[in-house]
Amino acid sequence: MPKLSLMFENKIVKEVSVGTRPVTIGRSPDNDLPVDNLAVSNHHAKVYFEAGRMVVEDLDSLNGTFVNDLRVERATLHDGDNIHIGKHKIKVDASGDAPVPWDSGRKAAAPRIDETMVLDTKERRQMLQQAAAMGESMQFAGTRLKVPTLVVLSGKTDQKEYVLANKLTVIGKSAMATVRLQGWFKPQMAAQINQRDDGYYLGSGDKVPSINGKPITGPVRLSDGDLVEISGVRLNFVFRE
Amino acid sequence: MRIASGGVTDVGRVRSNNEDCFKIVEPLHLFVLSDGMGGEAHGEIASAMAVETVVKHCLDFEANPAAKVVGAVEPKWSARTKRLSTAVHLANRNIFKSAEANDEQRGMGATLTAVWIDDARLSVAHVGDSRAYLLRGGGLLQLTRDHSLVAEQVRRGILTAAEAEESDMQSVLLRALGAQAEIEVDAEEHTLFPRDVLLLCSDGLTRVVTEPEIAGTLQAETDPMRAAEKLVALANERGGPDNITVVIVRLDKDSKGWFSWLRGATRKNSGSNGTGGN
Repeated sequence: MPKLSLMFENKIVKEVSVGTRPVTIGRSPDNDLPVDNLAVSNHHAKVYFEAGRMVVEDLDSLNGTFVNDLRVERATLHDGDNIHIGKHKIKVDASGDAPVPWDSGRKAAAPRIDETMVLDTKERRQMLQQAAAMGESMQFAGTRLKVPTLVVLSGKTDQKEYVLANKLTVIGKSAMATVRLQGWFKPQMAAQINQRDDGYYLGSGDKVPSINGKPITGPVRLSDGDLVEISGVRLNFVFRE
Repeated sequence: MRIASGGVTDVGRVRSNNEDCFKIVEPLHLFVLSDGMGGEAHGEIASAMAVETVVKHCLDFEANPAAKVVGAVEPKWSARTKRLSTAVHLANRNIFKSAEANDEQRGMGATLTAVWIDDARLSVAHVGDSRAYLLRGGGLLQLTRDHSLVAEQVRRGILTAAEAEESDMQSVLLRALGAQAEIEVDAEEHTLFPRDVLLLCSDGLTRVVTEPEIAGTLQAETDPMRAAEKLVALANERGGPDNITVVIVRLDKDSKGWFSWLRGATRKNSGSNGTGGN
C-alpha cells in the first residue's frame, strides 16, 4: 500500500499507509499524521485516493502546502514527491498498489436490486474478506486494547472508577444505574453514555451534562481525557491501555 | 415496570402484498417483527413462520423451562435471552427446511427482530436489517446492527453513511433467516429505565423516515398505537416504497411510590367533588 513518511532533519518521524480513508495532516493530535510545529495549522492538509490517483489537498492552511516546492491547493502525487508543511517534509511512496474500493467495479456491473436478497455463504465470505483486508486492519488497530473508563474526580458515587463494559451506561441515583450517584435529590437517571459504532456518546437524562465546561445540546462523542460534569459529580473519560 | 404497546403494519404505496409480520404478546411482554423476502407469496410465508416459531417457543418457556438451548449462547445471559436466541435459531431451521422441501419456496427468507421484557431486563435477538431502537432521555439509539452489505461497508469505513443511503445495494443482506441451515443470531441484554421507549421497525420505515423524525414523533405522541400510525403515515407520505411495520413499547414506573399514592388520593377527592376525571 502507498505510504507517507514524515521526515524532520532527514530522519523518519512517522509513517502511515494511505488506504481507502483520507490521511489527515496537521498540528492537532487527532490527525493521522500529527505534525508538532507552530507553522502547521490544526487541520492542515489531507491525502487520499481519487479515481486511482493519490491526491493532496490543502485545507485552507495558514502557511500553505507545498509539493516539490510549489504551493498547491490540490495536486496529484507521484512516487518520490515531497510535500512540505512548515519545516517538515513528507516523502511520498506510491510504489504500492492503489487501494481500489472493491465495490466500485461491482456497482456498475450489478443490476439495480429492488427485491431484498441474501448473499450466499461463499459470496458473502469473499466479500467480507475483501472488506476486512481493506478496512479493518487500519480501523481497529489503534483502538483494540483501549478500555473506556470513567474516573470519578469529585462527588459522591458508589465506586471511584467505572469501566464502560456495556453498550448502555446510565449515570444516576437509580439502583439499576451503572454509575450510582449518592445523596439527596439526585436524579434517578441524570445522564447516559451509549456505545455506537464509532465511539461512546454522552447524552442527557433528566439533567443536561457538560463536557469540558460546556453543556451539551445533543449526544456528543467523548474524546480521551474529556471532563464530564453532571449533578455535582465530575468524571474524567479516558481510554485505558 | 408498566408497559404499554401498539403496532401497525402497512403494505405501503408501491407493493401489492405485505411481506411484513409482527406479533405483540402482551402477557409475556414479547414483541416480534419480521420482514419476509422471496417471490410470489413466499416472503409472507417466511415472515409469518418466523414470528410464529419465535412466539410459540417463548410461550412454551413457563411450561418447559428445561428446553434445549440451540445455537451459540453466552453463559452470562439470562434464561430468557437464551430462550429468545434459541427461538430465532429454530425459526431459521423451520424456514430453511420448508424452503428445501418445497421447490417453489426456494430462496425465501426473513429478517427477525424480537424484544422480550422482564421487568427492567430487556432481551434482544436479531437477524437481518429490521431494527430495534431505544429512545432514552430524548436520544434515539439503534440497538441492533443491520446485517446488510452497505451497513457492513460503513462499519468498515469503505462507504460513508451518506453513500450508503444512495447505494443501490441497500437490499443486499448478509444474514437472514432461511438462507442457510445454521446462522449466527445477535442477542444482547440491557437494563431498562422508566420512560424508556422501544421501537421495532422494518426497513420500510427507516428508508424514508429519518432518526430525528422518529425521535420527534415518539416524544410528541405518547400513545404507542397513535405514534405507530403516525410513523406509518409519514413513510407513506414519502412514497411508501416498501411494506412498513412499526411496533412501539413504552415503559413507565409502577404506580407504587408515596408520591403516586398521594396523587391517587387527590384524584379520588376531586372525583367525589365532581370536578375530576380526565
